[in-house]
Amino acid sequence: MNPRRLLLRKMIYVGLMIPLVLLLAVLGMPAAPGAKGAPGSPGGVLARLREQHELSPTTLGDIDPTSETLKLATLGLRGVASTILWEKANNYKAKKDWTNLAATLEQLSKFQPNFVSVWRFQSWNLSYNVSVEFDDYRDRYHWVIRGLHYLDKGIRYNRNEAILVWDSAYFVQHKIGRSDERVQFRRLFKQDDDFHGSRPMARRDSWLVAKERFEDCLEVVDRGGRMRGSPLLYRSNPAMAQMGYAEAIEKEGTFGEVARREWKQAGDEWHAFGALDLPRTGSESTIRLNDYEPRQEERKALAAQLDELEPGLRQRLRDEKLAALTDEQRKALDTPPEKRSTRQMDLAAQAEASIQVGHQEQARRIRGENRKKALELAKQIDLIDDELHSLRSSRGIVNFEYWRLRAAFEQEADTVDAREAVYRGQQALAETDLVAAKRLYEAGLLKWRQVLDRYPQLLADENTRSITADDLGEVIDEYRRVLKLLDEPFPDPFILQDVLEHYQPSI
Amino acid sequence: MVLETFHAVNFAEWIGPAAKVWLIAVVALLVGFALLRWLFAVLRQGPAAGTLSALNFLWAAAADLLLISPRRTLALAGLTIKESMRRRVVIVFAVFLILVAFAGWFLDPGSNQPARLYLSFVLTTTSYLVLLLAVFLSALSLPADIRNHTIHTVVTKPVRPSEIVLGRVLGFAAVGTVLLGLMAAISYVFVLRGLDHKHDFSAAAREQLAVMWRDARRNDSTQGIAVSTDRVQNHRHTVFFDPAQETVDEQGVRRGAIRTDTENGHEHEIQYVVPAEGEVQFVCSPPENHLLARVPIYGKLRFKDRAGKDADKGVNVGDEWTYRSYIQGGSLAAAIWTFENLRDDQFPDGLPVEMTLGVFRTHKGDIEKGVPGSLSVRNPATGDEAHVRTFASREFQTDLQVIPLEFQTGDGRTINLFRDMVADGKLEVWLRCVAPQQYFGAGQADLYLRARDASFALNFVKGFAGIWLQMVMITGFGVLFSTFLSGPIAILATGGALLGGLFSDFLYQLSQHKVFGGGPIEAMIRLVTQQNVVTELPPTAQTTVAKMLDKAAEQWMWLIWHMLPDFRVLSFSDHVAYGFDISWGLLAMAVCQTLAYVGPAFVLGYVFLKSRELAQ
Repeated sequence: MNPRRLLLRKMIYVGLMIPLVLLLAVLGMPAAPGAKGAPGSPGGVLARLREQHELSPTTLGDIDPTSETLKLATLGLRGVASTILWEKANNYKAKKDWTNLAATLEQLSKFQPNFVSVWRFQSWNLSYNVSVEFDDYRDRYHWVIRGLHYLDKGIRYNRNEAILVWDSAYFVQHKIGRSDERVQFRRLFKQDDDFHGSRPMARRDSWLVAKERFEDCLEVVDRGGRMRGSPLLYRSNPAMAQMGYAEAIEKEGTFGEVARREWKQAGDEWHAFGALDLPRTGSESTIRLNDYEPRQEERKALAAQLDELEPGLRQRLRDEKLAALTDEQRKALDTPPEKRSTRQMDLAAQAEASIQVGHQEQARRIRGENRKKALELAKQIDLIDDELHSLRSSRGIVNFEYWRLRAAFEQEADTVDAREAVYRGQQALAETDLVAAKRLYEAGLLKWRQVLDRYPQLLADENTRSITADDLGEVIDEYRRVLKLLDEPFPDPFILQDVLEHYQPSI
Repeated sequence: MVLETFHAVNFAEWIGPAAKVWLIAVVALLVGFALLRWLFAVLRQGPAAGTLSALNFLWAAAADLLLISPRRTLALAGLTIKESMRRRVVIVFAVFLILVAFAGWFLDPGSNQPARLYLSFVLTTTSYLVLLLAVFLSALSLPADIRNHTIHTVVTKPVRPSEIVLGRVLGFAAVGTVLLGLMAAISYVFVLRGLDHKHDFSAAAREQLAVMWRDARRNDSTQGIAVSTDRVQNHRHTVFFDPAQETVDEQGVRRGAIRTDTENGHEHEIQYVVPAEGEVQFVCSPPENHLLARVPIYGKLRFKDRAGKDADKGVNVGDEWTYRSYIQGGSLAAAIWTFENLRDDQFPDGLPVEMTLGVFRTHKGDIEKGVPGSLSVRNPATGDEAHVRTFASREFQTDLQVIPLEFQTGDGRTINLFRDMVADGKLEVWLRCVAPQQYFGAGQADLYLRARDASFALNFVKGFAGIWLQMVMITGFGVLFSTFLSGPIAILATGGALLGGLFSDFLYQLSQHKVFGGGPIEAMIRLVTQQNVVTELPPTAQTTVAKMLDKAAEQWMWLIWHMLPDFRVLSFSDHVAYGFDISWGLLAMAVCQTLAYVGPAFVLGYVFLKSRELAQ
């Protein structure tokens, strides 16, 4: 090749390179912040796309220089390196080599700092699976906290992942506050300076930390962060953590005004939760859990208005349907429920369903000038029925009524006194002061009688009844044990006989 | 430290049989090679001339191997060193420096055993770098010289081929030694600096202490208090301050020195001065007792089952890893270690039994307390057993129980340990779990006698000596392969020998058909067809052929496994990292194994080089 052709070729190359480099510069120009609050440059197309799809590490959270270096150092083999590290982590766990397991997880997080599953899976691994491998509760606590610290690091690198904040709150709530070792864990957690900020020692509590973290999670969600799961559940968490706190301090011997205040706080927060607009399943609209009762009243009023448009129509329709039943169905319906045979039960159920008079049906039978209004009323009732159905279902998921009731009756002075008397009775029993234990248990049970009389709902609803029966049943069992030790008979009639009737002692 | 394949190290007992096997193998190899050489010569030159040529070759070989000139060999080694410098071996050192400089980014000093982590890191990094360097240097050198014809400048001089081969091995080994020495020194400083830290006390803790000392000035019987230090490197220590243990001078200045509890594998000493007025001065020592070199005496483990009958193993409590076997509490089950060659002059302060136990609870029991266990000693000759003490377990923690030289048993007997319990240097230590329905887990190396502590620095050097031996062995292989293979192929062969040596256990498992997913062909089929490793392959002709080919491959792998050195024998990283002394016996074994491979590699290398036209 002669020098002339060589030069020509070089010039062609340069000529092609210049526009490519310019194009690349335009496309890849990085975003730049503006000076003193002024709007900065959004950068090139690639920078804008990164920002838009939240692919830029700066939009995800803090940048760890180590992580970035390691990612670059693997020269595109990050996936292979991560797979090897996962395999190593599993191997170390199987061989109970905790030091190397923890070190491998650290390395893994550096390779995959924005892969949420790494943080979630491995923090759970440390706090739940590794911690229980240790026999000593102090070692277990150490590993629970290691998992929490691991998660905290994940949160720093992924500030829009609300699920990580939720996980950290859940770990504190569940692992510190509810595990088998909760007494020891809560004691150690109270002493741990890393979690309580400037909170005074008396207010250092795992439940309050959990609550604070659940609130942080909601803050991330509200500013557009990603969250998995139902808002109904995660929005209820702070108030539930407050309930847990109130419950926990009573179990540890704090009563009086402090306990009442905390339960009141829990009740207020539960009410505030009930006033939130929550998405309704299968619909674009929202619901508020507190609206159930007002909606029921509204429905009742609308139904009355519909009835008034043609008085007696509803009954007439029902009578017509009754007349249309077969003899066998009518006989089944007339038989008292407890005496029905299996077939009769089926027939009665069919009959019951077929004699129901729907509002639409009722409205369609109205003629004349009221027909239009009747149809409108029926439509409104149907809409309310739909909403009530959603509300019932949503309230059932979070056990809304029970917790509302619980917060209400726990604030009562009598309830707090009842719990305090039982607590002191348990203390006396532990110290084998049986006479004092008996006196205190009886005082507690008497107070409980008063509470139950004031809140009959506690034993009326099936769900609430079983929780109440379980809660008080254990106290009654302890009282029975005290009497047995004193060689005294169990009283008959017993002051909480109605509770006993619903109590099924666990084996 | 977990020793999954445990064998007691006794160099004196090992060397005899090992040397015998080695000699047989070497003689067989040499005789086989001589016969082949003879056969080849006879086929080429006829019986008489061939035999004569073969004898000449053997004679020359004997002369070349026996009459090696140290001066010429060292000169060649010097050339090799110069060549290595030209090949920028210093780059490896630079990589090492970069790795160490940035290691602090990804090594967590807050780990629960940071010393173990740091030591593992430096030893592993050094080992990989030096071995890679050895592979590339040794395997590329000769082929490059042959390709560039620079070898002729050497072979035309009056040097023997054996000197060329030996000079290369020595030269590369010298380069590696210098590098390794530098790396060891830097690693040592890195570990010490990385782990170094001190603690202080928070304002709240100082306030609590101030109140205690104020009370102590007014009342001599003031109780001590435990306070936590600040969090440094992700841990805190609990320190118990006891005014009763302090000295008070005439001016009312109190002085004390206390040890913290053990956290993250170390403790500190805190010295403090409490003036009558003003700020308390605390001086915290650097971490202590975290860099150890325990000298263990291992016993032989056996078990008794719940009925008190001999058993091969204890119970499996559902662990995937079967290293530890479990003994049932509140039964006759026991884990028994038999120790040999014990002398009373070895243990002037009692028998220090150190153990790391597994604990398995079938019910919660008392969470606040460890599961109680009992330690007894038994005379193997008389069967006389004496209960030493009951202790509370602490799982995965190294627990030291010192058995006194003289102690009282529960039934009032006074036991003299060495007189009553040790027979011909033998003693049995019985471990039982006392709590019913709870279990203790134990593996072979979980209980040992901590005879004494050796120097950590020396142990660190021994750890690097292990890497040095590996490097020498790989250099030997590299030079051997480079005498008859081209550069890239020699690298592949040397790298293969290294990988095979590092994963010799896997190779063995593969050759014995003990790996899930089958041999190489079956594994490839599974990979391509995306089938998992446990499902049976469909019974097709293709599967049958694959399995037959795998069977043949397994035979090869078995042969290769036998021929390759087991590099794990030369690796002492775990010993250093877990704080166990590398015994001289173990080191001597490693040296012998290295020589056992490097010697024949040198001879074969010489033979191959001599067979090539350029050396003749």
